[in-house]
Amino acid sequence: MTLFLDTGGDPRAGAAQLADVLALYGALGDAAAGNPPGFAARKAAAAAALARTVALDGADVDAIYLAGLLHSVGAIGNGAYRRGERLSERQARMESWDVPAQGARVCAEMPWLPAATSDVVRWQSEWWDGTGFPDQLRWHGIPESAAMLLLADTFVRSADPEEALATVSEQSGRAFGPTVARAFTMWYHSTGAELDPCEPPLHALDGAPAGTASEWLDRIADRVDAHVGEPGRWRRIARLTEPAAALRGFDAESRRALAIAVRTYGAGELGESEAAESKYDPLARLGIDERAAHAVAAAALVEPVASFTIAAPVLRARSEWYDGTGKPDELFHGAIPAPALLLAAAIAYDSLAHKDRIDTAAGTQFDPHSVRAVLEAARALA
Amino acid sequence: MIELQERTRRISPSRLHEVLLEHGCTSLVDPFMGMPTHLNYLKRHGIAVHGGDLLEWFVRVGEGIVVNDLTILRESEVAEIVEMLPGRIYSLDTFKAWEGVFFTEEQCLYLGVWHDNVRNLRSDGQTGLAILGLWRVFCYWMQKTQYPDDMQDVPPSELAWSYIRQTEQWVHANMRRNTVRQSDVLTTMAAQTADALFLAPPARNSFRSADARIWMWEAWWQGNPYFTIEHAYRDSLFGARAADPPAYSRALAGVLSHAEAYPLVVVQTTEQRLGDVEGIVRNARANVRILAPHPYEIYLIATK
Repeated sequence: MTLFLDTGGDPRAGAAQLADVLALYGALGDAAAGNPPGFAARKAAAAAALARTVALDGADVDAIYLAGLLHSVGAIGNGAYRRGERLSERQARMESWDVPAQGARVCAEMPWLPAATSDVVRWQSEWWDGTGFPDQLRWHGIPESAAMLLLADTFVRSADPEEALATVSEQSGRAFGPTVARAFTMWYHSTGAELDPCEPPLHALDGAPAGTASEWLDRIADRVDAHVGEPGRWRRIARLTEPAAALRGFDAESRRALAIAVRTYGAGELGESEAAESKYDPLARLGIDERAAHAVAAAALVEPVASFTIAAPVLRARSEWYDGTGKPDELFHGAIPAPALLLAAAIAYDSLAHKDRIDTAAGTQFDPHSVRAVLEAARALA
Repeated sequence: MIELQERTRRISPSRLHEVLLEHGCTSLVDPFMGMPTHLNYLKRHGIAVHGGDLLEWFVRVGEGIVVNDLTILRESEVAEIVEMLPGRIYSLDTFKAWEGVFFTEEQCLYLGVWHDNVRNLRSDGQTGLAILGLWRVFCYWMQKTQYPDDMQDVPPSELAWSYIRQTEQWVHANMRRNTVRQSDVLTTMAAQTADALFLAPPARNSFRSADARIWMWEAWWQGNPYFTIEHAYRDSLFGARAADPPAYSRALAGVLSHAEAYPLVVVQTTEQRLGDVEGIVRNARANVRILAPHPYEIYLIATK
C-alpha cells in the first residue's frame, strides 16, 4: 500500500517526505516524554537560531536542527515512560537519563542524517559542571552544538523569553559554560528572542535512498507498539485492512489514508502509563471515552505533518460508532470516513479473544460492510 | 590567574557501554579511572566495574559513587559538612596559602572547614559523595576567577549544599561487586579479572601539566596546600620512568602484555596520539578496530 504521493523521482520531494517522517517521529517522542505538542519543532528552530548566532558552520546547524527534532525519540521504549512499567520515582528518574543515549542509537540507525546528529542528541542534557546525563561530561568535553540544544530546551520550556534569560544567567557556570550563556544573552538582545520560521534542511536529507520514508514509518510504528505493550499490533491490523480495503473498493486516496492511520493510531496511547483502553471489552460502551481520547490524540499528532494530514480525520473518527452514539463527534453512518469504519472494525477484531463476536456489533458499533470485509480478509489469511 | 585546560580528552560511557554490549562483556577493569563517573554509568547498566588510580581523592569519589550501593547523605548530614559545627575546633588557616592567589579569604576558610568536616564523616560512601560535591564547588570558584562577571555569586554553603545533595542521585546498586583501589596500573589489573579492560593511559609526562582542578583538589584532600601530585607518579609505571618516548611505548606495551587474559581491551586515545598508540596495540592484539567519533575521543577496540 502506498504511503506517500509519487514524487516522480524528485529528490527534494523525497527529502520533504523524509523530513515529515522525522517531524512525526519527533512529535511522537514528545508525546511519549510528556512534552507539549509542537515542542520538538520549536526546540529545533531555537537551536538552529542559536547555532547561527555562535557561527557554527552550516552542516552543524543542520545537525542541530535535526537533533532538536529528534531530541526525545529515545523516550519511546524507555523504561521511565513505557506503558505498564512499575518503577519507583528514583528508578524512573534514572531510567529517564538514558533517553538521550537511546535517542542517539536511533539516530545512528539513520546513516543519511548529518554525522553529528547522533552525538548532539546523545549529549543534549550534559551540564557544563558535569552534573548532567547520561555521560556526565564536563567543561569543554561537551560539544558546543549539544550545548546549543540544551539552551534551546531551556528557552522553549520557559514561560517567556525573560524567564529563559534569567534561567540561563543563573545557570552560567553550572548547566551552561559561561561563553555559551553569553551567546544566549547576545542572541536574546540582538533578536528580541523572536524565532523566525525555520524550514527543515532538506538538502541534508536528500542522500537517503528511495523508500526510506516508508521504511521508517513502519519502524516508528513498531517502536510505538512495543512501547505501549502491543508488539506487532499494527502489522496484524495492516494484514487485515489491506485486503479488506480492496474488497470495499477504496480509491487510492482512501487506501493511503488508511495505511497511514494503521501505522499511527497507536500513537494516541503514548504518554499513558496504564493500558486503559485494552482493559475494556472492545465491544462494550465502557472504555469509549479512552478510545476517543486516544483517537483525538493520534489525530492531533498527525495533523500538523503535511504528508500525513490526510489520515487525521480517519484517526479521529476511528472511535465513532456506526449508529451515531460514539465519540468524540457522534458522527453517524456516512458521515464517518469509510477508512475509519474499516480501521475500527479491524482494531476490535484484532483484540477480541473470540473473533466471531464482532458480528454482534455490526450495525451498531461497526459498519456491517466493514465487518464483513474484515472477516473475509481474516478468513483468507487463515 | 591560573590557567584552566580547555580541551580534555573525552570518555563517553554510553558509547563505551555500547562497545561492551556488542562484545557481550559484563565486567570491566579500568586501572586509569580518574574521575569515575563513567564507571558509575556502567555500574548503573549492570556492568561489574573495578577501577584504580594513583590519586586518593579519585578513589574516595569511587567509594562514593562506584562501590557504594546504598549510603546517601541526608539533609542533616549535609548540614554538618557545609557549615562550621559548634564545639568542633577547626584549623582555619590550613588553606591560607591559597588566599589572594586563587581564592578569597572566605573561600579559604570554607575549604578548611569542609576539609575537617569531611574527614570526620562516618562512612567511606558519604565521604566520597561529599568530596565529589565539594569538588564541584571548587571548580565553580576556579571557573569564576576566569569569568567573574558571567557567573553568579552564590554563598559557599548554599553552593556546597546544592552540589552535595545532587550527588545522592548517583547512588545505586547493580547487584554486583564493584571495587576501586589506590594503586598503580599493573596492581589494579592483577587484583581483578574481568571480560574487558579499559585503558585511558595518561599522555607522556602529563602529570606535569595536570589540570589545576585535579591536583589542587588532591592537595585539599590531603590538607596541604603545597602538596603536589608529582610524588604519586614518581615511581609509577607512567611517571618519571616513562618520560622519554621509547620508555613510554615500553610502558604501554608492558601493560598490554599483562592484559592477555582479557577477551576485550579498549584503549582510549586522541587523534594526536593515535599514531603512537595504534602500533603498540596492534603489536599486542590480532584484531583491532578503531572507533573514532571525534578527534579527541578515539577508541581502539582490540580482541584476540
